[in-house]
Amino acid sequence: MTDYGHDLLFGTFITPAAQRARQVVDLAVTADRAGLDLVSFQDHPYQASFLDTSTLLAFAAARTERIHLNANVTSLPLRPPAVLARAAASLDILSGGRFELGIGAGAFWDGIAAMGGRRLSAAQGVTALREGIEIIREIWDTTISGEVNYDGQYYSVNGARRGPRPAHDIPVWVGAYKPKMLALTGAVADGWLPSIEYLPRGADSIPELNALIDGAAHDAGRDPAAVRRLMNFMNVQLSSAPRGLLNGPPAAWVDQIVDLALRHGISAFIIGGDDPSITQRFGAEIAPAVREAVERERTPAR
Amino acid sequence: MVMEIGIVLDASRLARAPLETVELARLAEERGLDLVVVADEATGRSAGLDPWTAAVWLAGSTSRIAIGAPAGAATTPDPTDPEAPYPSVITKAQDSIDILAQGRIISDPSGWVVAPRGAKPEELASLAEADLPVVVPVDSREDVERLAALAAGRDHQGGVRRRSTAVRAQRKPNIDYDGVPASLADTAVEPGDPPYRSLSSTYLRGGAPGLVLRPRTPAEVSDAIEFARRHRHLPLGIRSAGHGISGRSTNQGGLVIDVGAMNTIRVVDPARRLVRIGPGATWKQVAAALTPHGWALGSGDYGGVGVGGLATAAGIGLLSRNHGLTIDHLRSVDLVLADGRQVQASREHNPELFWAVRGAGANFGIATSFEFEVDEVGEVGWAQLVLLSTDIEQSLRRYAELASSAPRDTTVFFVTGQPREGMSTIQLFAVVDNPDPDTVVARLTPFLELGTLARQQVVMTPYSGVMGNAADVGPNGQQGFGEPNSRSAFLPAATPEFAHDAAAMLRSGGVYFFELRAMGGAIADIAAGEASFTHRTPAFQLTAMGQNNQRLNAVWEPMRPHSDGLYLSFETDRSPERLLDAFPAPVLERLRTLKRRYDPDNLFRDNFNIDPQTTKEPRA
Repeated sequence: MTDYGHDLLFGTFITPAAQRARQVVDLAVTADRAGLDLVSFQDHPYQASFLDTSTLLAFAAARTERIHLNANVTSLPLRPPAVLARAAASLDILSGGRFELGIGAGAFWDGIAAMGGRRLSAAQGVTALREGIEIIREIWDTTISGEVNYDGQYYSVNGARRGPRPAHDIPVWVGAYKPKMLALTGAVADGWLPSIEYLPRGADSIPELNALIDGAAHDAGRDPAAVRRLMNFMNVQLSSAPRGLLNGPPAAWVDQIVDLALRHGISAFIIGGDDPSITQRFGAEIAPAVREAVERERTPAR
Repeated sequence: MVMEIGIVLDASRLARAPLETVELARLAEERGLDLVVVADEATGRSAGLDPWTAAVWLAGSTSRIAIGAPAGAATTPDPTDPEAPYPSVITKAQDSIDILAQGRIISDPSGWVVAPRGAKPEELASLAEADLPVVVPVDSREDVERLAALAAGRDHQGGVRRRSTAVRAQRKPNIDYDGVPASLADTAVEPGDPPYRSLSSTYLRGGAPGLVLRPRTPAEVSDAIEFARRHRHLPLGIRSAGHGISGRSTNQGGLVIDVGAMNTIRVVDPARRLVRIGPGATWKQVAAALTPHGWALGSGDYGGVGVGGLATAAGIGLLSRNHGLTIDHLRSVDLVLADGRQVQASREHNPELFWAVRGAGANFGIATSFEFEVDEVGEVGWAQLVLLSTDIEQSLRRYAELASSAPRDTTVFFVTGQPREGMSTIQLFAVVDNPDPDTVVARLTPFLELGTLARQQVVMTPYSGVMGNAADVGPNGQQGFGEPNSRSAFLPAATPEFAHDAAAMLRSGGVYFFELRAMGGAIADIAAGEASFTHRTPAFQLTAMGQNNQRLNAVWEPMRPHSDGLYLSFETDRSPERLLDAFPAPVLERLRTLKRRYDPDNLFRDNFNIDPQTTKEPRA
């Protein structure tokens, strides 16, 4: 049993389709009104049919009231870290602390190169991400005087101004699957944000991947609980008969999510599918039931 | 020359007090100013707000006003420089905000002139000679109001309303905006105009029409129809108050003719209780106007509904069992036809059209005035009850027995949704048309056995107190979004099998709102041939709404064997076979013959369209 004890978050993963821009924003508003905690969009700037994710995040943040927002996940190779840090902090300030930073080392290198980005190997990408996260946190940190100077393998800057400072401590959630990325996540990140469909054996892979993160956290002198474990579920369906993970009646969803929370320490559940009715029921029925059940299990019996 | 005026917001103020600062932008928008610019004056030790993020945030926080966004600094892409954005990504961001904010972003920094703080009108006028918007730094609501007052004078020049470049940028290429008839130009609303957001959506359906025409007289309705005839390629919505569940009074990118301004209510013959009512009045207003005379005209069950849509469909309401349908009180209607002609329809004039309008009105013209013969109705018992039931099937069965066998002074509507943990919440809306409180209680008491009473409110009130339940639509208009999914059916008789299947449908979770409206009584007193609405004998009208249309269809399917026909006002399914549910074949055939006569080119085609050209009827 692994439960890192985080409060639970429920969110959606919305396709940022430019053709359906209005519905995309409506879906975010639906998630907000449904009482969900997170709305997120994938970031693939080279995908011509998608909206620019940073722009969409800021626009959707203005149209919503309570929900937090994040990219799921930002493609660092096309988002220079200081630029990203300032946009993130600005949106956090404007939205009253509702922005979180999902980030990844980059995928689809042909697309990245086509946009003018630099092609890196997987190992190089991990190092570049580590540097990027360091620069982002430096830019956010205005408690230190003096400019940011950084001399890395992949990024270097002299005399960058600090700030703006975010309204809240923006957590850095890393999309990671392979050992090096998982080690980076355990060592420096505030959260792990993969998609269950990309795990080699689905939910059965979680214990070993968690263990890699936990080990790296220990090695870095951190408490493994400092790394929240989030999970995307791209293929979900509400149906009358249980057919699989998050594919069945609400009661089955609740049982499955409670199990992932208590046994695997997953504390954020982000669903795809772009279906407003599932979004609504996720917020209105499923999330409260999961919270109640997890709360009950976590409270020591008297 | 037209002066465009805007405001400059200070970026550091925006960072310090985002909510208050955004309010200044919203106020500028409300007051009809043209542009908001954020000044990037970061001078402190730490970097200020990212200007692009701030501009996008403002665009998302407003709906009409143009937003000045700084163009990204031209940089050479350098992957090792954490401060150098990629030009390709900047371009993508600009394209994206163009889509999201519908062209409201001006990203050319030489697109405006900045005036000094507190500039005098003469200074502004002289700066405006550059033919660019003039923006003035503001710190407070008072500053914005001062500018707005200054700008107010310039909105109508030479009798023609002017629109800023930012507003004109949102025009649709397939609408001849400059060709809007002069009589309608002043009240027409385009996507960038201040009232647009309040007019774009309906009660349950989101919309984004390309142009809303708002005629005030029958002649202006003719003008609007003439304009619509020149735009046959666009959807055409006709709106009275925009409550319609099916949402046909809005669309995406099309025209809407909104007769909301034609809302007068006038007694024309007190002895015969003849009342003339405009299509834009709401039933709440009608009820309030009739109460002082001791009269009422039955409508539906909600005061926010407009007269025009309901009075051309049927009007199955809380007084119907005692007083008949709304259309049964109609004595004459003034219409503008597809060719722009103004005609009257009554038993004497154009009787065929009069028959058609009472049930299929949306296919034949735009009603501009109705003459009703209303009834004397005193105080009624008005009850809103909430009951909890652990056996929804039994509750449905019992309700159906009680509601159909009740005296005709008693009309009870039943509303429920999905049972939660085996428990159904039932709402009953009931009118007992009897001034004696003891009778009211006696009539309602049997209904208490449907479940455990959780809440009750029973009052003696004129009918206006019943219609008063509707909240007024505020200055923001109807705020529906997305597509509503609603199914309707008439139920000839509520059988135990129906109750069983309805309970299963409710338990499936595919329906969040399910209503039974009791019919019978005076509705069935009138012959079916009297009007094109022919469903006189069903016991109930059913409505089911669901979040997901596919799912709703699936769970609704078992209702079909129990039902016969549908009420078009509560049906969102647009497939042609639904037409035969709304109008039995002989009725549809007669309507089609009339459609060929009155609207041969099928101008009015957006609401249960009877295509004049089709010769074969769809299969049932």
